[in-house]
Amino acid sequence: MAGTSECVIETKDLVKNYELNGITVEALRGVDLAFGPGEFAAVAGPSGSGKSTFLHLVGCLDVPTSGTVSVGGRDTALMGRSALALLRRQTIGFVFQAYNLIPVLSAIENVSFPLVLLGEGPNEARERSLAMLESVGLGGMGDRRPKEMSGGQQQRVAIARALVKRPSLILADEPTANLDSKTAREILELMLELNRREGTTFVFSTHDQLVMEYARRLVRLRDGKVESEELK
Amino acid sequence: MTRAGFSLVVGMAARNLSRHRAKTVITAVAVAVSVALYIFVDSWLYGMNLDSRRNIVSYETGAAKIQSDAYFSRKDDLPTHESFSGWEAIAARLESSGYRVAPRFTFTGTVYSNSASAPMMIYAVDVGRERALLRYPDYVEYGRFPNPGTREIAVGAMVAERLRVGIPQRPTLDEFAGELLSAGRDDGEKAFIRDLYEPYRPQKTRNGIFDPSEGAGLDGLAENRLSLKASVDKRDLGRLWDILAANGRMGVRISTSIDIKGLPERIPAGKADDDILPGFDYRERAAFSSVYRLEGDDYRLIGGDATDGTDAELALAALIRLDYAGAVKHVNQLVDAVVVGVINSPNPMLNGNVGAMPIDGLSDEAGLMLAGRVTELLVRSARADDSRLPGKDESAGAITSAAGTLPAGLGVHGWAAYAESYITAARGDQVSSRLMVFFLFLLSFLGIANTMLMAILERTREIGMLRALGMTDSQLLLAYVVEASLVGLIGSAVGVLVGCAINVPMVKYGIDYSSMTKALNGDIGYRVATSFRSAWNAASIVATFIGATVLSGLMAVAPAARALRLPVTESLRFE
Repeated sequence: MAGTSECVIETKDLVKNYELNGITVEALRGVDLAFGPGEFAAVAGPSGSGKSTFLHLVGCLDVPTSGTVSVGGRDTALMGRSALALLRRQTIGFVFQAYNLIPVLSAIENVSFPLVLLGEGPNEARERSLAMLESVGLGGMGDRRPKEMSGGQQQRVAIARALVKRPSLILADEPTANLDSKTAREILELMLELNRREGTTFVFSTHDQLVMEYARRLVRLRDGKVESEELK
Repeated sequence: MTRAGFSLVVGMAARNLSRHRAKTVITAVAVAVSVALYIFVDSWLYGMNLDSRRNIVSYETGAAKIQSDAYFSRKDDLPTHESFSGWEAIAARLESSGYRVAPRFTFTGTVYSNSASAPMMIYAVDVGRERALLRYPDYVEYGRFPNPGTREIAVGAMVAERLRVGIPQRPTLDEFAGELLSAGRDDGEKAFIRDLYEPYRPQKTRNGIFDPSEGAGLDGLAENRLSLKASVDKRDLGRLWDILAANGRMGVRISTSIDIKGLPERIPAGKADDDILPGFDYRERAAFSSVYRLEGDDYRLIGGDATDGTDAELALAALIRLDYAGAVKHVNQLVDAVVVGVINSPNPMLNGNVGAMPIDGLSDEAGLMLAGRVTELLVRSARADDSRLPGKDESAGAITSAAGTLPAGLGVHGWAAYAESYITAARGDQVSSRLMVFFLFLLSFLGIANTMLMAILERTREIGMLRALGMTDSQLLLAYVVEASLVGLIGSAVGVLVGCAINVPMVKYGIDYSSMTKALNGDIGYRVATSFRSAWNAASIVATFIGATVLSGLMAVAPAARALRLPVTESLRFE
C-alpha cells in the first residue's frame, strides 16, 4: 500500500543498527512500508531477517537509527518517552509470543488493565472485558489466573487484552509460535473474525506458514530489507 | 493517574507481595525488628530523660534559681563569697505572686563520723520553704528531716553508708557485731537489735523486671551480710535510731572553708600601683582612694564609716573583678552536727554525698557566720505539677517580672542552666543509642532494597510488557514504590505492635539499676535512682511508623529506575 495520510503505520527508509560485542549489526536497512486500516498482514522471513525489529519500531517500543515511523500520521521521532507510552496506550495493542500476562491478576483483570490505564471506570471496564473474553471464547473463565489456563487460553486472553481498548493497530509478534496447530488455527480464525468485525489493522511478524496462509498481505523480509510483497 | 488507575497499581503491588512470600515475610520481619527495637530504645531514653528532667526540677533546682551574676558565671566552683543578702524582700514579692521560694547557702566540706569521712556538698536550707518547694525531704528513709534552728543534718543514703551513720540496711557480720549490737545498752536492747536483722538473701526486687546485682552483688558477698527485715516497722526503726544515736553513731563534724569577700586591711603599695590601680576605671580609683590611705609601703584600710559605704562596695567589686586574692577571706570552720535522717529519693544525686542542714542553725559564729547571706533562691510555682516540666509561668522571664526590680547583680536562671552537663550527656547518649539502632535500620532497609532489586530483576520482562501496554515510567516507579512501602507498612505495623507490647512492662516496671546507681555513688548521669522506666512517646511511634514505611518505599526507587533505563525491547527479551 502506498504511503498516505490514511495509513495506520508508515515507515520511510527505516534503518536499525545494533551494537553487539563491538560489532554493528544491521537489523533493518532501509524499509519503506505502510499499512492501512483493516489490513491483516504478515511480515515474514527467516530468523535475523529483521521482522521482530520492524514490529518493535512500528510499535514504538524502540527507536530507529535513521528513517521515520509514523503512527496514525504522527512522526514518532518527535515524541518523548511519556508521549510514546501514551500513544501505545491509546493506539496500539500487542500480542506477544509468550503471552506476557500479569500472573497475579485474573483473566478479567488482565483484560481490563489497558482500559483502566485509559481512565475507564471499573464497572464499565469490567463489562467490556467480560464481553471481550466472551468474544474470544473464554466466557466464564474471567476469574482464572494465567497459571490456571492453557497456552491457547492465555493467548486468547492476550488477544482480548490487545483488542479491548479498540486500538487502530494490533501488532502480534509470533503469536502462534507456542501453540499447537489446532489452537493456532483457532487463534488465527479468531483474530481474522475480529479484524473483519472491528476493522482493526493486524500486523504479524511470523515464520509460521499457517499465519502466512491467513494473511491477506504478506511482506517478506530478508537481511533487513523487503524482499517481496504479496497481496491475496 | 485516575483513581481507578491508582487503585490498580496499589492492588497489583499488594498481590505482588504474595509472589515471593518468603522474601516478603523475611524483609517485613527485619523491618519489624528494627521498628520494635527503635521504639523500645527511643521510649526508654525518652522515659529516662523525662524522669531525669522532672527529678532535676523537683529534687534539685526548682523551676529557676536567683543568683548573683558573679556566682552564676562560676557556679561550678561554688564561689560562696558571691552570696547575697536581702533575699527576704524578693521572696515576699514572689510568694505574693503565687511562687514558692527556698533560700540556700550551698557549701562543700569534709564530714567526719566516728568511723569514716567523706567529702560532701551541704545545702544550708530554710527547712519549711525547702520542704514546700522540693520533694527530697519527703524521702527521708530513716529518721526525719532536720528541725529549724538546729545543727541537725539529713544525709544521702550512700554517704550515710560510707560514713556509717544512720541505720545500715545490709551490714556485714563484723559491722553488725561491732557497731550495731554493741550499741545496745542492755540485753533487752541487744535482743531487740538482733531481732531486726536476718541473713541477707538476694531476691528479685519488687519493682524491677530483674536486678542486675542479683546473686553476687556489686557491694560484696551476700553470705557475709545481714539485711534489715522487711517486716521492721517505723516505730522499731525509730527505737533503733535512738539507741544508735545515744551510742554516738549519729554525731558528725563538718570541716569546711567558707569564702567571704571583704576589703583587705592592707594592700602592698607596689602590688596596688603596678597590678591593681591600672585596671581600675576613674570611679573605681576614686572609690579606692576614699577607703585606703597610703602608709609607708602599704595602702591601709581606713576604718569607720568609710568601709560600709558605696565607695567600699565599688572598690571591693573592682578588686574581686581583678581576682585580687586578698579580697576573699577563707574562713575555716568546724561545725558539729547530728545526723537525724537518711535521704533515699528517686533522684540519685540527693542520695549521694549530699546533706541538708537548717540555714538558721549556721548563721552565728559557731556555725558559718552566714548572717542572712544565701548563694541562691530556688523558685517554683505554687501550682506546679511534679509530673510536668516547668511551663511558661515558671520561665526565667516570668519569674523576673514577678520578682519586680531585682537588686543589681542578681539574675534569674532557668533550671536547664543548672542541668547543662546532664543535658549534654543525655543528648550524647541518645545520639549514640539512636545511631546504633539506625545502623540496624540501615541493614533492614538494605534488605528491602535487595528484595526489590531481585523482584524487579525477575520481573524485567513484565516491566517491558507493562510499558508496551502504555504504562509510563512514573506509573511503574510508583507501582514498585507502593510495593516496597507495603512491605515496610506490614513490617512497621508489626514492629509498632511488638515495640508497644515490650513497652507496656517497661513503662510499668522498667529495669532496676539501683545497684549500679549505688555502686557509682549516685553519679550515673541520669537522675533516676532505681528503675529506669520507659515512657510513651506517641509522636515518636507514629513518626517511626511513617518514616519506616516511607523509607521502605524509597528503597525501590533505585532498582526500579535502573530497570526503567533498559529499552522496552531489551526488557521484553530478558530471560
